[in-house]
Amino acid sequence: METEIRGLRKVYPGGVVALEGLDLDIPAGVFGLLGPNGSGKTTLMRILATLLEPTEGEAKVCGRDVRREKAAVREILGYMPQDFGFYPTLSAYETLDYFALLSGVSSPKERRARIEQALARVNLQEMAGRRVGTFSGGMKQRLGIAQALLNDPRVLIMDEPTSGLDPEERIRLRNLLAELAGDRVVILSTHIVSDVSSTADEMAILHRGRLLFSGKLGDILAPLRGRTWIIDLEEEELSRVRAEFFVTGVFRSATGLQVRVIAEDMPHPRGYPAEPTLDDAYVAAMKQEAQAGDVV
Amino acid sequence: MTWSELRAFSAIARREHQVFSRSSTFWAVVGLGAALGAWRASPPGTSAAMAAYQALQIIVLGVGVIAIMLAGSVATRDRRQGAAELVLAKPQGSAPLLVGARFAGMWLSMLAAAAIMLAAASLAQAGLGGAGWRPGPYLNALARAAAPLGLACALGLSLATLFHTALASGVAALYWVSIPLTRSYLPLVLDTTLSQHRLLATLLGAGALAVAAARYGRQVRGPRRGGARVAWAAGLLLAGAAAAAVAAALSGEDLLTRADPVLAAIASQAALPERPAPGFWLRGADGRLVGMTDFAGRPTVVAFWGPGSPPSARSLALLAQAQAEFADQGLVCIAVCLDRDAATLRPFAREVEGEMVMVWDRGRHFGDGMEWSDSPLAVAYDVERVPVLFVLDAQRRLVHKLEGEVSAEWLRQRISDVLAAP
Repeated sequence: METEIRGLRKVYPGGVVALEGLDLDIPAGVFGLLGPNGSGKTTLMRILATLLEPTEGEAKVCGRDVRREKAAVREILGYMPQDFGFYPTLSAYETLDYFALLSGVSSPKERRARIEQALARVNLQEMAGRRVGTFSGGMKQRLGIAQALLNDPRVLIMDEPTSGLDPEERIRLRNLLAELAGDRVVILSTHIVSDVSSTADEMAILHRGRLLFSGKLGDILAPLRGRTWIIDLEEEELSRVRAEFFVTGVFRSATGLQVRVIAEDMPHPRGYPAEPTLDDAYVAAMKQEAQAGDVV
Repeated sequence: MTWSELRAFSAIARREHQVFSRSSTFWAVVGLGAALGAWRASPPGTSAAMAAYQALQIIVLGVGVIAIMLAGSVATRDRRQGAAELVLAKPQGSAPLLVGARFAGMWLSMLAAAAIMLAAASLAQAGLGGAGWRPGPYLNALARAAAPLGLACALGLSLATLFHTALASGVAALYWVSIPLTRSYLPLVLDTTLSQHRLLATLLGAGALAVAAARYGRQVRGPRRGGARVAWAAGLLLAGAAAAAVAAALSGEDLLTRADPVLAAIASQAALPERPAPGFWLRGADGRLVGMTDFAGRPTVVAFWGPGSPPSARSLALLAQAQAEFADQGLVCIAVCLDRDAATLRPFAREVEGEMVMVWDRGRHFGDGMEWSDSPLAVAYDVERVPVLFVLDAQRRLVHKLEGEVSAEWLRQRISDVLAAP
């Protein structure tokens, strides 16, 4: 496994438990880390990026311990945080040059080659001379990816890379992540289900610092096969169906409402079987967790 | 440092310099300082030495404050602009290299600001002041600004790294501003605004940088892997700075001489009419000691002046003229420069032609009025403001005390009277 996490626990000062004994293996390819806000995704990303000390447990990135071998981990790591910015007075090229220097590339020739390669990868060559302060949100995200690629990392950690992007930018970024995966690990943390379903080979769902699921996309969908239904409803029937069945989504169609439901048998005369999606699986996992929490 | 580290160092310093020198704060300060320096250099008759001196005062105080604030905001800047995590997640080599390179970039920016401000003062002095332009005083001022600006950057950087808050740089900047405002009350050994204590400034600056590097190293590599060697170096440098401070304090050179018994004794030998005026041994611009006894039996004019008072500096030309006119009758003109820093005298001395004797005594004054002085000689001569001229006869008796600016004709008349007396 490229990345191994064993018994990882993080308690912030004040007693807030962000991670509760996490065990996770992350293989090569795009790995989606899904969870609502506050589920511990960013804490996990920051621990893997050596920016945060775990309270207990261990994490190894390509065999390098994130606590004891910080510099060694950083050498093989590209990290794009959730919120980040650049020095607005520097151009894109100068910014990447600065980060390449911090990555330990002292030869000007090598820096130039790496910067040009990274800019080409994110399609920002034309903007190399422009000051970063004038960049749009999408361009900044792309520059954020470019800086993470400067050291040709074996592991790329992207914390909520698509947040704040318009649909076109989001699609472009997903394509880029898929391209980048190759034989490296791309750990993609997000609360947007479609980011994971469209790019990730494997995934994990985090909730309140605990792991709800880990595996391939097919594995999480398998239990829902034959149990996922779509029902065409009148508006007034919705509350009754909601109360009676496990609803994972409500959509408006030309004829009225369409409701996605998980049930063992056909739930409604106007229902018909449907292929489960990651949205269904995610909502189901969250609801089950919430119900379990209520019981506790 | 290896060749590749050296290349990385200079490249990071260059990028840091770009980050600083392209900020609007930087250019606002440079513009304001340049305008102020040009204005102070523009009165007709302002010499290059005076224009450079005035600009240096603005640079050391104004740019010093900005240096400490900008440098102090580096850690907070990275966080404010969201670059902190991007920076910290990089392998980034050794902490001393990174902190040192960042410091060098900031220092370079501040020196560039100082150079622009001096150039503006120089242009105004040459174009409007019109009293002979020379590059020497401006280069001298730039060299003298280097130590205090470097110290300001180092202090700001270390405070920000230690405390991670803009408040730290604010407190440091307040200290910087408070020095000239509260000189009478602060222990003078802490007065590093001028380049008086180079050793102390260098050790303190290097110590502050080492503290920043040690702290940054812990931040980057984790608390268990902090650079013990850098921490030791920081401790040694700061201990050295403390030792230099104690040595300076014990030497008495910076103690308030108001409370000095030696000064009190000299002051009791006050210059009184018809009594021999107090003698002295002081150093000239070339570092040699000059005494009144060198000119025994010759009528003498002793003039007190200070670079903080442009009218008093203008009186130097008058004195030089009198010296040239009456040299064949044995007259000696001695101009005593009162300033914190001996190095102040040199550019002014180069501007004065002829045989006039120029010496320096530790003293200070603000504007045209003498606030107070720790110059024993000024106390003995009861100097309350500059310029002031004392005309002594051949027996060194005080004949005339001329306060404020005087005309050439008036001075010539008083000197002629003394020379004509039996």
